[in-house]
Amino acid sequence: MPTNKPQVTIVNAETGEEIIRDANAEELKQIAKDEADHKARIAKIEAKEIAKQAILDRIGLTADEAKLILG
Amino acid sequence: MATTTNYGWTTPDDTALVKDGASAIRTLGTSVDTTTKNLNPQTTLGDIAYRSSTSNVNTRLGIGTTGQVLTVSGGVPAWATASSGGMTLISTTAMTGASITLSSIPQTYKNLNLIIRNPLPANDNVILSMRFNGDSGTNYGYADTTNTTNTTDVHSGCILNIGQDNAVSEGMLDVKISDYTNAVSVKFVNSLFVGNNATTSSNWNITGYNCVWDDISAITSITLHYQSGNITSGSVLLYGVA
Repeated sequence: MPTNKPQVTIVNAETGEEIIRDANAEELKQIAKDEADHKARIAKIEAKEIAKQAILDRIGLTADEAKLILG
Repeated sequence: MATTTNYGWTTPDDTALVKDGASAIRTLGTSVDTTTKNLNPQTTLGDIAYRSSTSNVNTRLGIGTTGQVLTVSGGVPAWATASSGGMTLISTTAMTGASITLSSIPQTYKNLNLIIRNPLPANDNVILSMRFNGDSGTNYGYADTTNTTNTTDVHSGCILNIGQDNAVSEGMLDVKISDYTNAVSVKFVNSLFVGNNATTSSNWNITGYNCVWDDISAITSITLHYQSGNITSGSVLLYGVA
């Protein structure tokens, strides 16, 4: 019976047998951890962008101008 | 009786009587005939011959079938089916849900090649990741054109792509896993991706990642998942490379 839990698919590459089932407790824990890692990565990228923009504002350059100088 | 140097055919002695000439010539002729046949045992178009364990006696090897190549088996020549060196499709799997695991991967190939067609994530701009043998520890390092892998830049899976759109997927991934059955060295993964950009889906993201799995085990299973959200659709083709 379909549930709202994340579904995992396991395929036996040798026989082609396919099992689709609800993620178990350990897998749910891993999915949550992956999600947290994703959020941390996005936050890191955003923080880097903010810091970069702050420097550009301080020296009075646009991002394109900075790219032109560094390129 | 005198004999020839190489094949030992009997020839008349200098003192032999003339009346025995016909018999001597017949004996010599029979010996020549037998030896010639022993050295040329071929009977059919395309047959070849090789030396047997008995001197002056060759063995017939019948012609092989189309595409076969000459090899050595048990110390003698033999025809065998040529190794193609090509790719064998092991499995094709529709992608959906939280993850896809390809288990019980045959250990009979040199390399693995995954082709992932039209992978589509539920969320924009998420990482597609690959894990081996169920290992979700931070045992994976990667490098793209601007990043050198080091021990502090580790992940819980091989990064295959990033920045993908979650509405349109006309792209593909080509993932190569080298020498996956060896149990003495860490494993190397090379992936190339082209996919629709998350911000402007008509633009293409073209990326390449090199990844190391810091484990010397043979790879027996592969798990694909997005770091955030489900896989909406796509298909994964697993090839064994001879």
